[in-house]
Amino acid sequence: MTLSSTQFVALIVAAGIGTYLIRLLPMLVGQRLARGSGPLTLILSALGLSAIAALIVVSVGDLWQNQPQPATLISLAAGTLGVLITLRLSRNVGIATLGGALLYGVATMLLQG
Amino acid sequence: MRAMNQSTSLPVTAAAGRALMSGLRASLPLAIGYAPMAFSFGVVGIQAGLATWETLLISLIVFAGAAQFILVSMLAAGSGAGAALIAVWVLNLRHLFYGPALLSQLRERPGRLLPALAFGLTDEVFATAMAESTRTAVTPAWTLGVGIGAYSAWVGGTALGAWLGVGLGEGETVISHALTFVLPGLFIALLASALQRFLWPVVAVAATVTLILGWFYPSHVAMMAGMVAGALIRPALQDRSAEPQP
Repeated sequence: MTLSSTQFVALIVAAGIGTYLIRLLPMLVGQRLARGSGPLTLILSALGLSAIAALIVVSVGDLWQNQPQPATLISLAAGTLGVLITLRLSRNVGIATLGGALLYGVATMLLQG
Repeated sequence: MRAMNQSTSLPVTAAAGRALMSGLRASLPLAIGYAPMAFSFGVVGIQAGLATWETLLISLIVFAGAAQFILVSMLAAGSGAGAALIAVWVLNLRHLFYGPALLSQLRERPGRLLPALAFGLTDEVFATAMAESTRTAVTPAWTLGVGIGAYSAWVGGTALGAWLGVGLGEGETVISHALTFVLPGLFIALLASALQRFLWPVVAVAATVTLILGWFYPSHVAMMAGMVAGALIRPALQDRSAEPQP
């Protein structure tokens, strides 16, 4: 790490401002889009669902890449089933998440010894 | 499309306060998912040679999980500050789509809350808000509550990791394994609770495109392409449950 403290702070502030503008500017422009109707509004409304689907693929893919073996598939299946069953029983996203995570942890420990 | 409140600013009311608290409560699973990631970031920052305050400063100002790891890794590897900065920005480009999508689902205009909403618009906050919007009208104050909960967990987890974490972040226990599944589990729960039957093609296209492109490109590129591809087919789908029955 060869940056001085001042340079480091400047770098972090620039990273933060850039990230913030990437989030803020489309919101400022998008207020008009959000009030509209038609295909573009439908596309915007579906972005949440498609983002969640893409996030599942990426986050599960990361777990798989860390341990690319059959036991990981079983743990992932156990965790997913745990989430879905707990969600059906509790109707609560938080409880379902914790239930699935716990089942994934138990399955991983059992399968990986 | 929900009708938007015509007022340009959100008055601080008891209702807004209750919505904020409700959002904070709704952020709990997200915060539980963030905490171990943030803890890891704190540990990684110290191991990369950053001071505690420098590690914490990144989480306080940038608040972007994966991008922060990339930033620290590149600096530790001796990359130039300019390259690291561009990597952070490029990695976060997928957030360009989140703001307009979130606004389209809010019950009222965010007004003065908009700058704060934008700051907290991470993948997980966005996903939580969009999933909630399929069940009930989401308010800016509720979304802000989710963002505050997520930010607190992120900064708090980073601080713990930076101060206490070196040597504690390892270990093979049920809990350590379980924590790695919290964020995937949260996304699966959000999808299952938000999905309407006629929108399955959106999910299928987004997941398939992300999976295929993930073999060839970095995950943030695959994810951005996947989410756009999935959303683009939405106008071709019809909600038949909304049609009158014969």
